[in-house]
Amino acid sequence: MTAASAAESSAGPARPASTAETAEALRRSVARQFRRSLHIRTLDTGSCAACEQEIRLLAAPHYDLHRLGFFFTPAPRHADLLMVTGPMIRAFDIAARKTYAAMPGPKLVVATGACALGGVYSSDAFTHGGIGETLPVDVWIPGCPPSPLALLQGLLVAVDRLAEKVRELTFTQEGDHR
Amino acid sequence: MTALRQDAGLPGLLSLLGHDAVADDGPVVTVAVAATDTEAAVRRLAAAPGARLADLFASGGNPAIDGDPVVLRMVWGLDSDRRYLVTESVIEGERYPALSDIVPAAFTEECEIYEQFGIRPAGDKPLNRVALPPQVDPGFPRLGRPPAEQPADVHAAHFVGGQAFEFPFGPVRGVGVESLYYGLVTSGEELVDLYLFTWHKHRGVEWRLRGRTPREALFQVERTEGLGAVGVGWAFAAATEAAAGVEPPARAMRTRAIALELERLYNHAAATAALCQSTGLAVGQAAAEIALERLLRLNAAAFGHRYLFGVVDIGGARCGPDAAALRRELPGAYGELRRAADALLGTNSFLDRLEATGILTQEAAQRLGMVGPVARATGLRVDARADHPAAPYAEHPPAVATGQGGDVLARFRVMQAEAAESVRLIGDLLEAGAGPGCADLPEGTISRTGPPGSPDRSGLGWAESSRGEALAWVSLDEGGRIARARLRPASVRNWRGFDDACRSQNVFTDVPIIEASFWLTVAGMSR
Amino acid sequence: MPLWFVRGLRRGVVTTRYPARPDSSAAALPTPPAFRPQALTRELADRLCLVCPSRALTRSGDVLVFDAGACTACGRCQEAAPEAVTPSGEFELAATDRGHLVKRIPLLGEGDS
Repeated sequence: MTAASAAESSAGPARPASTAETAEALRRSVARQFRRSLHIRTLDTGSCAACEQEIRLLAAPHYDLHRLGFFFTPAPRHADLLMVTGPMIRAFDIAARKTYAAMPGPKLVVATGACALGGVYSSDAFTHGGIGETLPVDVWIPGCPPSPLALLQGLLVAVDRLAEKVRELTFTQEGDHR
Repeated sequence: MTALRQDAGLPGLLSLLGHDAVADDGPVVTVAVAATDTEAAVRRLAAAPGARLADLFASGGNPAIDGDPVVLRMVWGLDSDRRYLVTESVIEGERYPALSDIVPAAFTEECEIYEQFGIRPAGDKPLNRVALPPQVDPGFPRLGRPPAEQPADVHAAHFVGGQAFEFPFGPVRGVGVESLYYGLVTSGEELVDLYLFTWHKHRGVEWRLRGRTPREALFQVERTEGLGAVGVGWAFAAATEAAAGVEPPARAMRTRAIALELERLYNHAAATAALCQSTGLAVGQAAAEIALERLLRLNAAAFGHRYLFGVVDIGGARCGPDAAALRRELPGAYGELRRAADALLGTNSFLDRLEATGILTQEAAQRLGMVGPVARATGLRVDARADHPAAPYAEHPPAVATGQGGDVLARFRVMQAEAAESVRLIGDLLEAGAGPGCADLPEGTISRTGPPGSPDRSGLGWAESSRGEALAWVSLDEGGRIARARLRPASVRNWRGFDDACRSQNVFTDVPIIEASFWLTVAGMSR
Repeated sequence: MPLWFVRGLRRGVVTTRYPARPDSSAAALPTPPAFRPQALTRELADRLCLVCPSRALTRSGDVLVFDAGACTACGRCQEAAPEAVTPSGEFELAATDRGHLVKRIPLLGEGDS
C-alpha cells in the first residue's frame, strides 16, 4: 500500500489528504517494512540498570522475541530500531547521536521506561530529563521498569502489528477500567 | 548515634580500636580527629588487623558561605569488633594528608572529593576524573566548591609500553548492557591493562537529594541502582533512622530482610545467566534465565514489584510479603536455579572457561577494600550481615560463604552457596513473622535540639546487598530534610578491583566473563 | 549435553503466547492509577500532585493532568487517597505520540480556593 493510496482511502473520495494523514500513512508503511524481521540495538543513556535487565529477558525462554521475528544486534549498521533507556545524561549526548546516525534509514526509535519519557529526573545540568529533545522518538513505552510484556507490546506497536491502546484509555474509574 | 568525642591524640584513638569505654556506644562510633592528626590516625587504623576502610567522603564547603570548611569523614569497618568507626576531620585550606599513599582503598574517593569539593591530598599524584565529564565549567553543580584546576584525563597506574597499544571500547557496548567506557591496553590478544571512564552515567544523585524529605529521597535512592534497590534503599533508610533516632518495628525489619534475600537470589540468578552467555553456553543461559524469570515473578507476587521497588520505607517497610505466595513459589523458583547451577558445575566446557580466569588475589581485595561475593571468593570473610548484625540478622545469622583462589569459578561457587543460604533465611524469617509497618518518623520538624551538623542529626546505615556492603550516611537539617546524603553502593567499592582481575593473564574474550562474575552495575558506581 | 536436552523436554514450554493469548503473569504487575473524578476535589488534587515523586500529576485549573508516561506506578498517590485512586490494571501502554499519554481528568470543582 503506497502512502498516497492509504491517504486517499482514509480521507474519502473528494477531499485531498492532509499532510498529517499522509505522514501517518507513510510512518505506518515504514513500520510495516519491519513487521516480520526487526533488528534492535539498545542504548543506555543513564538508566538504573533495571530496564536493561527487562530488555535482556526479551530473549529469555519466557518471552523469546525471536518467535516474533525480532532480533538483537550489537551493530548499529544492522539495526532497524533503537531502544533507548535512561534520562539522556548530557555527557552522553554525543555517543547517543553517533549511535543513531550510524543506523541506516529507515529506522525507528523507541523510548523505553519512565526516565526516557521524562519521569524520575527533571531537566537540569546533569540530564535532559528524557530523550525527546535528543532523538526523534517513534514509540514511547512507560514503566519503571516496563516489564518484558510491556516491551513486547511496544515493539509490536512500533512495527504496526498491534494497535496502540493507550490513546483511548482515560485512567478514570468510570471509564474503561476495573 | 553516639556523642561527638574530642580526641586528644593517639591514645584516645587506640582505646577505641581496642574495647572498653565504648561498650555502651552501639554499633557506630564517631570520633573527631584534628586535621593534623589524620595521617597518624590512618596509619594506626591501616595497621590494625580487622580494620577496613569502608568509605571516605566530604561534606560542608558550601560556596555560598564564606570560609565554610570542608569536613572529611572516613568510615572504617572494625569488623572483628562489630563496629563502624566514623572519623571526622575539619579541613581548612585546600590540602589534606595523602591518605591513599597509606590506604590504596582511598584513591578513587580522593579523586571524587577533589572534583566535588576542591580539596586535594598532599603530594602531586595525578588524580583521575571520576564523576564529572570533561566539558564542565566551574559553575557546574557540585556538592562543594570547584577545584582550582580541572583533573587532567590521567589514569594512575596506567601502562602503555613496548608493543602494547591502547584502544577505547564503549561507552555504547553490547546489547542490553549498561553504557561503560573501557580503555583497553593490549599487545594483540592479551590484556595488558584496562581502565574505566566512570562519568558517562553520573546523574548527580547525592546532589539531587539535598533539601528533600527522606521519603521523597528514597524514591531516587532506590533508582540509583535499580538492581540493588533494597540494598541501597535499606542502607539509606537505616542512616536516616539513625539520624532521626527512630527504630523500625521488628516485623518490618524481617520484611526488609526477606526482600533483601530475594534481591540476592535474583541477582545471583542473573549473574549465572550472564556467565553462561559470556561463555557461549546458550542452554545454560536459558536454564538460568528461566530461574531468573520465576524469581522476578515471585518478587511481584510477594511484594508487588519485580525489582522490589517500594518495599523499604523510612521507618520500616511499606508492604508486607505475601507469605503464602512466597512459601508456594520459592521452592520451585530456587529449584530451577539450583538444578541449572548443579548441571553447570558438571559441565567441563563451562568450568574450563571459569577456572583460573580473572584471578583477584586476596591481597588485592584487601588492599582495595573490596566487599561482597567478589571479596569472599578470595577468602576474605567480610559480610555486613555477620560483621555488623543489625536487626534481624542478629537473631538470624547467615552462614558466610567464602571461596578460595579468587577466580571466576570461586565467585560462581560463592554465589550459589549464598543463594542456598538466602532460601533458608527467607524460610526462617517467614516463620518468625514478617509484615509491613513503620515507626513514626517526625517528618515535619525534628524534635531534637542541637546545632545543625551535630552527630545527633546524622547517621550511618548499611546493608549487605547482593554485590556487597552498601553504606549510606545522612545528615538532616532542622526541618528534617536532607542536608547531606552519602550513598555508597557496593559497586563503588568493587569496580576498582576489576582491572586487577582482568590483568592477570587474560585475553579479550575473558573480559565479559569476568564482568559477569563481578556482577556490579555502572549505575551504582557512577550515581 | 544430553542432560540439558532431557531436562528441557521434561520441563516443557514456558514461552508466553502473548500477543496471541493474554499472559496471566501480567496480573501481578504494578500499573498506573485510575482516578475517580467524583472524589477529586481541588484540595485533594493538590495533595496528590505534591505526593507524586515523578512529576506525573499537575493541576491546571479544574483539571488534574496525569502524565502516564512519567508515572512509575509507585503507588504513593493511591496510598494518599485510596478512595479516589485505584490501580488501573493497564500495562499495554505504548504510545506513538507522547501526547497520547497525557490525560486530563476533570475535578469535582467544589470547595475551590
